[in-house]
Amino acid sequence: MRRVWAVIRREFVERLRSRWFWISAVLGPLFFGAMIFLPLLFTGPGGIKRIVVIDGTTTRFGARVADSLDRGSTFAVVARVSPRAGLMDSLAQQVGLHRLEGFLFVKDATVETGAAEYRAANVSAFRDVAELQGVLGRLAVNERLERAGVDPATVSRAQLRIRLETKKIAGAKTTGESSAESFSLAYVMAIVSFVAIAVYGVNVMSSVLEEKTTRIVEVLVSSLPAFQLMLGKVLGVGAVSIFQFMVWGLGGRLLLSQRAAIAGRLAPLDREPAVFQMPHVSAATIAIFLSYFLGGFFLYSAMFAAVGAMSSNEQEARQAQQPVMFLLMLAYLSVFALAGDPASTYSIALSLIPFTAPIAMPVRWAAGSVARSEVTASLALLVGGIAVVTWVAARIYRVGILMTGKRPSLKELGRWIRA
Amino acid sequence: MAPPVIVLDRVAKRFAGHTAVDALSLEVSAGLIYGLLGPNGAGKTTTIRMIMGIMEPDEGAVRLFGDETDIGAGARNHSARIGYLPEERGLYRKMRVLDVLVFLAEMKGVERRAARVKATEWLERLGLSDWRLRRIDELSKGMQQKVQFISTILHQPELVVLDEPFAGLDPVNTQVLKDTVLELRRRGVTILFSTHIMEQAERLCDELCIIARGRRLDEGAVSDIKRTHSGHHLTSGFDGSPGRATQIFADKALVKKVDDYGQYAELELAAGADAQQILRELIGSGARLSRFELMEPSLNKIFIDLVGPEAARAEARPGA
Repeated sequence: MRRVWAVIRREFVERLRSRWFWISAVLGPLFFGAMIFLPLLFTGPGGIKRIVVIDGTTTRFGARVADSLDRGSTFAVVARVSPRAGLMDSLAQQVGLHRLEGFLFVKDATVETGAAEYRAANVSAFRDVAELQGVLGRLAVNERLERAGVDPATVSRAQLRIRLETKKIAGAKTTGESSAESFSLAYVMAIVSFVAIAVYGVNVMSSVLEEKTTRIVEVLVSSLPAFQLMLGKVLGVGAVSIFQFMVWGLGGRLLLSQRAAIAGRLAPLDREPAVFQMPHVSAATIAIFLSYFLGGFFLYSAMFAAVGAMSSNEQEARQAQQPVMFLLMLAYLSVFALAGDPASTYSIALSLIPFTAPIAMPVRWAAGSVARSEVTASLALLVGGIAVVTWVAARIYRVGILMTGKRPSLKELGRWIRA
Repeated sequence: MAPPVIVLDRVAKRFAGHTAVDALSLEVSAGLIYGLLGPNGAGKTTTIRMIMGIMEPDEGAVRLFGDETDIGAGARNHSARIGYLPEERGLYRKMRVLDVLVFLAEMKGVERRAARVKATEWLERLGLSDWRLRRIDELSKGMQQKVQFISTILHQPELVVLDEPFAGLDPVNTQVLKDTVLELRRRGVTILFSTHIMEQAERLCDELCIIARGRRLDEGAVSDIKRTHSGHHLTSGFDGSPGRATQIFADKALVKKVDDYGQYAELELAAGADAQQILRELIGSGARLSRFELMEPSLNKIFIDLVGPEAARAEARPGA
């Protein structure tokens, strides 16, 4: 046991000594922040878009649309022109020269059938399209009501903007968590889990590979059984990952408390200081996240250890790790489906399968409420999965660390496992 | 008498249809330098790995330090008493010299603090104390080799197993290693090393085992092996007329192989032939002899005689 401790300590201390650990301790949160907020930032208002409205209507509908769009914060209507031959082509040229974002073509038929045309450099910008649809829809309805004889004042009074306030119910209690907060929490947990499992799993793999290529492993396994060596490695690297989370957690807390203090000093005395509010993260959520992270880490690092053992150099290992990475990515790529419908059969299945559960379950947990029995079943399956995968990985590891030359075929791997 | 430190009893190891070690038996007595001699692919490394408990034999038993129970992979029970230097060597490149030594000593069951003290002593002794806080990859290859020797013997083992220890060493380190090995023997440590370099085996070993294709061809004290293989080689020199020497040397009943230089010849006697009969015939033929000497063959010669035909035979039967 003392030897396993020595292996754990070596993995832990050497990693903490490396410059990379501290660089990632500092840059990690920045990196995660960038990964999380940059996409949101870019989908936010990307500056005011200059467009032209081609008004093919015989009523005031075209003018109203142009006004309404111009008053909004998304578009600036630089001109409202009547359709003529060659107009679309010359406008398209302007778009090509980046003088215009695009142009909107409205006709009388728009009011009747709802059909309109928007041509622009970027038609996949959700916000732009949603704004256009909203304005056109609202004005078309107004127009039709007026034509039916409804007083414009009544129409405007009847109009109502919906502000839907969302609160999450967890365990029959309404939390202060909004749907956006729930989703971002789920998203953050998925990203952090995915990146940390991948990074620390690959750490285990490189460590195995280093000992194999330098043949130190021969000296080590003549002193302790291969399984204990693998265990020591996985535990040592796992401890580093937990320590990393602690550094991030403490750093984050410190920063937030300092922020409050700084904000307090700067704000006028008679006003409440405006402090950035963290989304509400309960102790249960932290427990779920950490248990699944650790479970996932053990499951995947056993696989990464086997990959390291069966490869003879970095290049081979990079290739051999791909199936493992794909398996890990499966749940990560399903984050939107999971958060969108946490109770669907697909989501439930992913959160029960040991290979996807480490990411899928915390996402479901954050996005919706999950029955305790499901969590228990999923954890039991995960523990079972870890036992089976570790058993297989340890057998591959035991033989693989002494093998050099070409990478084993699947048949040979089967023989190693049975041996 | 002290029990043998290592006993291999009809040990065999097979890999996917290829037999690496075949019913190999040997005994290494305490306090000796024992050489495992064989060409590349003879099964030396596999044999050593089975002794070290890194691999389990498919058949037969490995017993260490007179332990009567078949230890199999349990050689680890004795790992604190054994120092091991694998064939291809390396260390943790990014670790500090001192830390590597302490870690590897801990693997051998040495307490951390004691390991630090011993490591520092050894580094001083081999002129590396200024480097103890440097990372391994900052050291020259020769220095790394020294660090590796230290790691092998730091925990004061009773048995040191060295797989091709002289391969790739520079002359300075070859000397350092040789001196260290001899020093260890003076202190009563048993040393087993594998090599295919005959000169070292001949100069260093008390006993040896010659293996090829996983099988033992000969085993015993170096002097005994030489004696059993001597009396088959002779050189003759002529002072003027060689007489009918050429005809006599061509007699297959007497001479198996000849290198005839005219005034000088090296002979290998045929099985059962008597050197005295050749001498009589040469004198009878009127040859004027200046020299007639039975040679003790070099280990190199014995090795090639033993291994050559064996290896060739095995090669002709692939998969055997």
